[in-house]
Amino acid sequence: MGALMNRILLIMLSLGVFLFGCSSNETDLVKIAFIGPLTGGVSANGIGGRNSADLAIKLANADTSKKYQYELVVLDDECKPNIGIQVATKAAADSKIFGAVAHYCSAVAVGTVDVFHKFALPMIVWGAVLPEITYGNDYPEIHRVNGTMINQNDVAARFMIDQGYRNWAIIHDTTDYGKGHDKYFTESIEKYGGKVLGRFGVTADQQDFNAELTKIKALKPEVLYFGGITPIGVRVRTQMDRLNIPALFQGTSGIISDAYIEGTGNLSEGTLAFREGDSAERLPGGKMFLTKYKEMEYSSPPEAYGPFAFAAANLIIRAVEAVGPDRKKITKFLNQIKDHNSVIGKISFDDNGQNMVPLITKFVVQDGKWVIWEASDYQSGQRQLSR
Amino acid sequence: MKKQDKYLVTYCEILLTSTITTILVVAFLIVEKEMLLGAIIGLGILGFFIAKGRGIPHKIDQVYREHPCVFYLTIVSPVIIAIVFCRHEHFALFMIASVAIYATACLGLTLQLGYTGLTNFAGAAFLGVGGYTVAVLTNQSIPNVLVILLGGLMAAIIGSLLILPVLRTRGHYAALVTIAFALLFKTFLEINDTLGGPQGLKIASFKFFGLDFNEPLLGSSFYLSYVIAALLLMLVVFIITRLIEKSWLGLHLDAVRLDETVASCFGINIAAWKILAFTLGNFFIGLAGGLYAQMLGHIAPTNFTFADSLILISIVILGGIGNPLGVIPASFLIIVLPEKLQFIQEYRFLLFSILVILVLVYRPEGLLKRGLRSFYRTWGRERKLEN
Repeated sequence: MGALMNRILLIMLSLGVFLFGCSSNETDLVKIAFIGPLTGGVSANGIGGRNSADLAIKLANADTSKKYQYELVVLDDECKPNIGIQVATKAAADSKIFGAVAHYCSAVAVGTVDVFHKFALPMIVWGAVLPEITYGNDYPEIHRVNGTMINQNDVAARFMIDQGYRNWAIIHDTTDYGKGHDKYFTESIEKYGGKVLGRFGVTADQQDFNAELTKIKALKPEVLYFGGITPIGVRVRTQMDRLNIPALFQGTSGIISDAYIEGTGNLSEGTLAFREGDSAERLPGGKMFLTKYKEMEYSSPPEAYGPFAFAAANLIIRAVEAVGPDRKKITKFLNQIKDHNSVIGKISFDDNGQNMVPLITKFVVQDGKWVIWEASDYQSGQRQLSR
Repeated sequence: MKKQDKYLVTYCEILLTSTITTILVVAFLIVEKEMLLGAIIGLGILGFFIAKGRGIPHKIDQVYREHPCVFYLTIVSPVIIAIVFCRHEHFALFMIASVAIYATACLGLTLQLGYTGLTNFAGAAFLGVGGYTVAVLTNQSIPNVLVILLGGLMAAIIGSLLILPVLRTRGHYAALVTIAFALLFKTFLEINDTLGGPQGLKIASFKFFGLDFNEPLLGSSFYLSYVIAALLLMLVVFIITRLIEKSWLGLHLDAVRLDETVASCFGINIAAWKILAFTLGNFFIGLAGGLYAQMLGHIAPTNFTFADSLILISIVILGGIGNPLGVIPASFLIIVLPEKLQFIQEYRFLLFSILVILVLVYRPEGLLKRGLRSFYRTWGRERKLEN
């Protein structure tokens, strides 16, 4: 017995020493959390966002004029609300974390805002587009640099009406993303005098859309609006062609990817889609972002929302530099952000922490590339959208 | 040595073992540095071999079988002390509560799969039934404790829809029925707007006789009350499961699993016992789901996918099929390990899977194998204690 007791005592002692030794004295180290989906179906976006946030931290650490050293704590929410709440709790409970760049998936963000509020941890959403995340509560901690789907669809509806289209059929997936787009696009289009002839919800893994498309063919819409992401977008577009539906194909931010063009080939020509934020290539800061990103040799591209993660991380760094590591002060500082220059254009937060300058960029596919509308042959009149 | 002294020494050894285990577990939860985590795991393995060398697992098993009250006391008291000790550690408490809740759900599965041999691949769906019942009813004015009970009841009732197909089929086919239910349940939630659709539902905080669970309890963490509730629930469900196993009920269930034909020849009503195990198991899972939903404060269909059902099943298999005690360390491994591997980011599930495979290779019957049923007491027999 005595021998055992000795051994156990030894173990506990060594453990104590370990624990004691771990309380380090890095006083000027500031941690920032990044939360996004690193595994699962949308992990490409999560990893792109992670790399972009990581880039912001690395650039800040390389800058000798910065007062603090930064460290990125990366957490995977798996695009699942329960895991999201778990990792948000983890980030919020860590007293060395002073800000979070969080969430690509809307369903996760809606669930975690309470956690951030409870622990008073300032957070900036970098990808989730559901309006309720910022507008569904009055928590001062919650901010968002990307626009909501309200902005996106309002611009889209106005633009389409101006182009002379009046009748739509809608296919959307039944995730929050697709359903939200359906709702807000319909609202905007009816406000501007357009008409929705029919709407069809499909599950996110549906393969065959012949039933929906046959009905749509009978409705004879001028435009087929699609609210969803690339994989189903490709299927809908190709099956639409097989049924000889002449309508114009209009998508959302979810299909702006090279995979869409690869999947549909020539059919992609003339597809329209809309995305929040200016195109990174067109802003001076954006160019810097893209070149720096290349220099770091990350194994995967930043994807559509990488610049937003980069801007969000930079905003938190700037807040820490201005008011020091203090969650309450950082929240206050972020709430007062007006006309802040960033890689995604100017950022100004409204009372709900929503970026008020929702720059929406219009894209059209021309010769197998996503081209900004203003720079395309369609704008200059050399080509015509299908009618 | 006198007999009385021998008992005392054994009790002390067990108490010491459970204390050290608790210390290691808590340290593992709190510590973030990879090196320290490695050190703790090393200490744990070292401790395990020391304990094995002294024949402690065998002694624990004996006490567990024959002196349940002593067993519960020696296990529970260090846990209570540990909780008091880390009452400010939000995240550790959150993880402890999650583990307890998953363990509770898996006890329900043990009843179905382990005792009766009913494969239930819809565990997460029943977890969801409990969660959604709570989400809907909490927003009405019904006492919360009752609401969680109703969550369990609802899971049992909805589970009874499956009774007929489960009784009519055997083995793989019965498993297919439950898989179909799991898929159906998630799709149903996604298209159903009254239950929040794909975005899920927000849940008001848990109240227990005027005590708001989301307010800090006695100046400590928000999650302390949930940890206590979850551990209590687990303890109650564990004792019930254990009592069922030990009694003639368990004997009947075992008979049904081992050989249906023989069992019915001996006059056992196969259908009745299957219904009992299936319904009671679902009831337990529903209770766990209810509490889980309360703690998360927000639930969405993506929490209850088929993949989550597989996680529940793998906990039961990893713990050792049919051993309720094994479920607890197994859910600890499955829930906490992916979380502790966050530092390797997108590769964590790869490593996690390898670890699980390794455990199954070296302990093919799970962490704690279910012992043979003993029909008489062995406690105090010289031969056994000397082992």
